[in-house]
Amino acid sequence: MAELGYPNNECLEQSGYESSEESDWLTGLHPMDDLLRGERLPHIWCQGCGLGTALTTFISAIQWLEKNRGWDLDKISVVSGIGCTGRVAGYLRLDSFHTTHGRALPFATGLKLANPDLKVVVISGDGDIAGIGGNHLIHAARRNLDITVICVNNFNYGMTGGQVGPTTPHKARAVTTQYGNYEYPFNLPYLVAAGGASFVARWTVLHARRLTWTLREAMEHPGFSFVEIIAPCSTAYARWNPEGRGLDPQKLGRRGLEVMKHYQKIGRVGQDVHPKDAVIKVDENGLISEIVEGKFLDDPRPDLQAAIDQLASVADKRWQAAKKSLDERPKVPKRTDHVPRTEVQLGGFGGQGIMSAGKIVGQAAAIYDKLEASFTQSYGPEARGGSAGSQVVISSDPIHHPHLIEPTSAIIMSQAAYDKYVANLASGGTLLIDDGLVCLSQNHREDIKTYGIAATQIAGEIGNSRAANTVMLGFWAAIIGAVSEEAMRQSVSESVPSKTLDVNLKAFDIGFNRGREKIEQ
Amino acid sequence: MKYWRQPLDKDRIKVPIGIVHVINERCKGCGFCVEFCPRGILLMSRQTNAKGYHLPEIADDSNCVNCGLCMLLCPDFAIYVEDSGADE
Repeated sequence: MAELGYPNNECLEQSGYESSEESDWLTGLHPMDDLLRGERLPHIWCQGCGLGTALTTFISAIQWLEKNRGWDLDKISVVSGIGCTGRVAGYLRLDSFHTTHGRALPFATGLKLANPDLKVVVISGDGDIAGIGGNHLIHAARRNLDITVICVNNFNYGMTGGQVGPTTPHKARAVTTQYGNYEYPFNLPYLVAAGGASFVARWTVLHARRLTWTLREAMEHPGFSFVEIIAPCSTAYARWNPEGRGLDPQKLGRRGLEVMKHYQKIGRVGQDVHPKDAVIKVDENGLISEIVEGKFLDDPRPDLQAAIDQLASVADKRWQAAKKSLDERPKVPKRTDHVPRTEVQLGGFGGQGIMSAGKIVGQAAAIYDKLEASFTQSYGPEARGGSAGSQVVISSDPIHHPHLIEPTSAIIMSQAAYDKYVANLASGGTLLIDDGLVCLSQNHREDIKTYGIAATQIAGEIGNSRAANTVMLGFWAAIIGAVSEEAMRQSVSESVPSKTLDVNLKAFDIGFNRGREKIEQ
Repeated sequence: MKYWRQPLDKDRIKVPIGIVHVINERCKGCGFCVEFCPRGILLMSRQTNAKGYHLPEIADDSNCVNCGLCMLLCPDFAIYVEDSGADE
C-alpha cells in the first residue's frame, strides 16, 4: 500500500488490511483521505449524524496545524472511550487508542505523563466523558494536564438506543423519559471551568468553520483545554424531540438536517461569555431554545508537567542528600555464622515505640548484619494509644513467608499484649517482659523461658521514659543473640532522633548488660 | 441585485472558482451540503446511489467560490471542492 503515498501509512499492512479493488475509500480523492483509515470506512454513523462533521473539523484543524505549525503527525495521539463518538479513534489514521467506557481521560493522562512530547487529544461522547467518566473529567481539569478534550454532546446515550444521559436537557424526551426528563443536565463548560480547566469552548457542528479555528487554538493551548461540540443525534434524540421534525409534528424529513437548521436559528455566538452564562436553554416542551456558543475561557497557566518538573528538582536535591548519608553510614564486619529462622513478636501499646523497635531489629539484621529480614506490623485504628504489635523475621536464608509462623521470642510491654501474644509463642521460646507493666498470670506457661526487666522505670531514671523500647532491645539482643551487638547499636543510633541519641545508647547498654547478667545466672 | 457601492479593493481581490466533486458511493444523503451551501449551487437529486440514498446534484457549478463549507460539513467525506485555477 505504500505506493499510495499516504504520509502516515507505514503500519497499514500490520493492521490486517487487505487491499481490495472494490473499496472506494483508498482512492485518495478526498483531501482528508490521508488521515482516514480507509479500510475501516464507511463509518457506522447514521444519516444526518453530527459526528462525521465533528471528525472533518478535527481533521481540518490537524491538517492546518501540520501545514502551518509544522506539527508531526506521529506526535499526535487520539484517545476515545466507548460510544458512537468512541469510533473516532478507529477511523483516524493517527496513533489512536480505543479505551474502556469512561476511561479515555485516565488513559490519556498516563500517555501524556509518560511521553510529554505527545500531543494527546481525547475525543469522546458526553455519556463517556461526563457520565461514567465524569469524575475523571473534573480531576483531569483540576490537574490542568496538557491535553485537549473534545466532548461531542448529542444529549443522550445514542449508541444504546437514546437513553437519558447526564446532558439531556430538562423536560426533553428520551427513550427512558417519555414524559420528559425530570433531571437537570450538566452545563459542561461551567463544570470544567469550575474544575480548573484553562481553555473552555462550545460550538455546534453547524458552526464548522469557527469550530475548526477553536480546535486549532485548543490543541495549541498549553494546559487542559475542553471543547464541547453539540451534534445532532438524528436517530435517537431527534426522533423524540420536536426539533427533529422542524417543530412540525406532521413533517417527516431528514431529522439530522432539521436539527441543524434549528441550530442555525437558535445558536447565539457570545463574546467573552462567562462559563456560568454559557447555558443551553429549553422551553416548557423540552425544545432547546438557545445554545450559547463561543470560547468562554482562555487562561494559560502552568500545567501539570511544569509543576511536576519543579517539585521533581526539589525531590532530587533531597534524595541526593539522603543518598549521601546512606553511603556514608558505618560498615559492620560481615557475619559468617549461620542464623536460623528467628521470629520475634513485639507487643505493647501505641506510643511505646513497638513499631520503631521492630524496625530497628530488622534494620540491624538486614543492613548491618547483611541477613534477610522481614517486618510486619499490626495495630488498632488509633494513631496514638491503643494496642500495637510488630513482627520481625530474621534469617540467613531467603524468607519465603514474611509473617510469623511460630515466634521463638517475644518482647511484651503491656498486659493486653501479654494476653494476646504469649499463647502463640513456640514451646521452649523466650519471653521478655517489662516487669513494671506486665504481671504474669496465674497459669503462666511453664514451657517457655521468661525474663523480666523494668524497662520503663530504667528509661525514666536515665532521663527519658520513651527509651524503654531501647532498653528492651538491648535486653533482647543480649539474650537471643540473633543480631550482633554492634549492628544493633548502629541501627539504634541511626533510627532515634539525634537529640535523644545519648539517652538511647545508654538505655541500650543497660538493657544489654542486664541481659548478659540474666544469661550468666 | 445591483449594488450602487462597490468594495474599494474590488479590482485586486480575485474570487476563486471551485469545482465540486461528489463521491456518490460514500454519500448518505443527509442534505447538509445542499441546505448550507452559501451559493446554493447544490440540489437534492431524485437519483439514488447503490445504498438507496438520494444524492446531491450540482445545479450551477459556475457559482462555486471554493469556500469548502460543503467539504467541512459533510459527515461522510463524500464531497470536496477543487480550485479550478481560474478567477472570476
